[in-house]
Amino acid sequence: MGGFFSSIFSSLFGTREMRILILGLDGAGKTTILYRLQVGEVVTTIPTIGFNVETVTYKNLKFQVWDLGGQTSIRPYWRCYYSNTDAVIYVVDSCDRDRIGISKSELVAMLEEEELRKAILVVFANKQDMEQAMTPSEMASSLGLPALKDRKWQIFKTSATKGTGLDEAMEWLVETLKSRQ
Amino acid sequence: MFAKLKKKIAEETAVTQRPGGATRIPRSVSKESVASMGADSGDDFASDGSSSREDLSSQLLRRNEQIRKLEARLSDYAEQVRNLQKIKEKLEIALEKHQDSSMRKFQEQNETFQANRAKMAEGLALALARKDQEWSEKMDQLEKEKRFLTAQLQEMKNQSLNLFQRRDEMDELEEFQQQELSKVKHMLLKKEESLGKMEQELEARTRELSRTQEELMTSHQMSSDLSQKLEELQRHYSALEEQRDRVTASKTGAENKITALEQKEQELQAFIQQLSVDLQKVTAETQEKEKLITHLQEKVASLEKRLEQNFSGEEHVRELLKEKMVAEQNLEDTRQQLLAARSSQAQALDVLETRVQELEQSLQASEEKLKQSSDIVAAQEAQIQELAATSKESSRAQQQVLAVEQQCRERIHALEAQLAALERARAAEQTAAEREVRELEQENAALKESKNECECSLQHHQLELKKLKEEWSQREIVSVAMAQALEEVRKQREEFQQQAANLTATVDEKEQILQEKTEVILQKEQEILQLKKGHDSALLQTHQLQSELEALRSLRAQESEATAREGLLRRPGQAQGLALSVSEPHVTLRAMQDPTYQLPAAGGIPNGEMGAMDLRQLQKEKQDLEQQLLEKNKTIKQMQQRMLELRKTLQKELKIRPDNELFEVREKPGPEMPNMAPSVTNNADLTDAREINFEYLKHVVLKFMSCRESEAFHLIKAVSVLLNFSQEEENMLKETLEYKMSWFGSKPAPKGSIRPSISNPRIPWS
Repeated sequence: MGGFFSSIFSSLFGTREMRILILGLDGAGKTTILYRLQVGEVVTTIPTIGFNVETVTYKNLKFQVWDLGGQTSIRPYWRCYYSNTDAVIYVVDSCDRDRIGISKSELVAMLEEEELRKAILVVFANKQDMEQAMTPSEMASSLGLPALKDRKWQIFKTSATKGTGLDEAMEWLVETLKSRQ
Repeated sequence: MFAKLKKKIAEETAVTQRPGGATRIPRSVSKESVASMGADSGDDFASDGSSSREDLSSQLLRRNEQIRKLEARLSDYAEQVRNLQKIKEKLEIALEKHQDSSMRKFQEQNETFQANRAKMAEGLALALARKDQEWSEKMDQLEKEKRFLTAQLQEMKNQSLNLFQRRDEMDELEEFQQQELSKVKHMLLKKEESLGKMEQELEARTRELSRTQEELMTSHQMSSDLSQKLEELQRHYSALEEQRDRVTASKTGAENKITALEQKEQELQAFIQQLSVDLQKVTAETQEKEKLITHLQEKVASLEKRLEQNFSGEEHVRELLKEKMVAEQNLEDTRQQLLAARSSQAQALDVLETRVQELEQSLQASEEKLKQSSDIVAAQEAQIQELAATSKESSRAQQQVLAVEQQCRERIHALEAQLAALERARAAEQTAAEREVRELEQENAALKESKNECECSLQHHQLELKKLKEEWSQREIVSVAMAQALEEVRKQREEFQQQAANLTATVDEKEQILQEKTEVILQKEQEILQLKKGHDSALLQTHQLQSELEALRSLRAQESEATAREGLLRRPGQAQGLALSVSEPHVTLRAMQDPTYQLPAAGGIPNGEMGAMDLRQLQKEKQDLEQQLLEKNKTIKQMQQRMLELRKTLQKELKIRPDNELFEVREKPGPEMPNMAPSVTNNADLTDAREINFEYLKHVVLKFMSCRESEAFHLIKAVSVLLNFSQEEENMLKETLEYKMSWFGSKPAPKGSIRPSISNPRIPWS
């Protein structure tokens, strides 16, 4: 009953919050990206044990953004958050050449989940401000993105500390989410 | 733990066996043999460990035999290794040759391909550029035309707008005209009305005028009558004056007579006075005589009395009667005389009186006559006065009449002037109105003409517009066709580009393949080196083991059975591991033999004859090599894992710490192992509750309790997974949260089955 009314209200006012997960290996810059998106500032972060959830408003769209801790021990709990997810922002450290394989396998395993079948994938090739950063195409191929089927995905080169590329990425995400509705 | 590992190994072997075709049968067989050997030895150990401790000596002997066999095998292996080394060298040389040739070929091919590609790309680019130019020219032309047409359209629109404006203006003008006309008509009507009024007034005035004229006529008549009367009266007056003159003359005569008569009267009066005086004397004498008579009568009365008294005295009475008779005779005489005087006087008086009477009568007559004449005069004077008054009145009336006439004339003049003025004004207004009407009609005509012109021009314009539209549509069709053509050309271009991209991609792929191949070759070399090392180390180990064995043999003879048992227990495991380590490179080497032996055959084809067949063959070979390489890598990995597992099992079963040296030696062959097979943790099993990070649990629960309901709803799963909730408990949590989030509904009652103390520790979802 209440759910029915709330769904009516939400459909009336069109304020359904989009649910976005920010995933990625530890130290990729997920929490920095979340707070850069929310408050537009660079915050000093500590390794996230658990998660952060914030409401981000972008272009009249409200997002409930979940930043889940990426440490190896708590990665298994990502799957607890997959249901009702509209988009996944997968953050990859562009300088971490050693662990890109792990990142790829985590990504592939994540995308195999049935609950994320309809989720849009945005890959943030983060830390592009660093000199030894890999190019997005390089990263896309090493993450096996071109092989993805039945999935809307896009890779963006970003720098959470400099704030570059986030707007374009969010723009694309918003447009894709709008067109999908 | 071991079971799992075994399962994994079995799976992997199954996986590797599946793709492996008929070509790699010997390899798989060798693997099988290794596996079976391992399994056999494992079984042996199991049997050793559990049941038959008595047959140790026989076993020992068997072991010795085995060792001997192994030694023989080892020598064989050494020989084989030497042979292999030779072969390897040959292979290396062949490989290098092949590599060089293939590299050259590839380079040449690459160059030719690049040249071809460049040519093609240039040709395509040129064609594209030409087409682009053409199309751009066409587009420019079209755009120009479009611009021209749009300009024309704009003009037409403007013209039509102007037309519409003109039409509107015309309509407005017509409206104004009509308004003006209606105004003029209204004014005319008003003027006509006023004219009618004026005419009526004029008529009234003329009527009045006629009336006044009639009056004038009557007054004229009257005046003429009056003048006649006046003349008569004047005549009368003159007659009367004559009469009056006569009368006055008679009057004067009468007055003269009157004066004469008055003189006579005075005379008469004087006479009358004498007479009266005489009368008075006479009267006085009469009075004296009467007195004497009265005295004598008294004497007669006294004498009679004395006669009566003295009768005797008769001589005195006769003497007195004789005296009396004498006095009576005297009285009679005097009486007669008096009577005579009296009669004379009376006669004179009478005469006089008659005469006076006569005079008075004549006077009275004259006076009457005077009176009559004066009356007549007075009447005549009154008449004259009346006549004068009447004449004055008549003159006044005449004057009045004249004044009235003048007034009337003036009024007539004024009225006529007014009339004339009004008529003039009317005429002027009429003319003005006519002029206005004419002007308006002219204007109307002009406007109609202009309207007609405008309509004509409009029609013309519309026709033009239609033409232009038609043209436009034609142009549009043409442009659409052109756009389509352009689109096609673009598509073609895209196709070309795609083709170019595909070609570049294939080139890249080929390059990549080349690189991979070289990498593979390098890897192979490395592997070979590693294998060599492994072989060397194995040899070293075998040497060591042999020395150890010898030492042990010498020791065994000296030491007791129990100690010998333990030493023997340790040795077979090591020997087995050794055997495995030895067999592994042997297997890999044998596996490698296939491609390496094939390579010289492939390289045998002369390099000068370059062709597609060559390329294809090379590619095929390359692919085969890659596949083989991959398979080999896999098998190597599997072998390594299996080795590790076996080592572990050995360690566990023998409860001996692994040899550090051995461990290191075995760890080295797979340094890239974590990269090749990374452990996927986000899909890992969550059953191991001990691995749950307490910190994580704390954080999640804290967030679950503190965050919004909509966020908490998504945390239910995490919490229930972390705290091992059952499905019912999770559902209950969800319902409670939904109740909290919604505005309606009732709090869901916890079902009886959900009691934490009773609910079984559920195995969460795998």
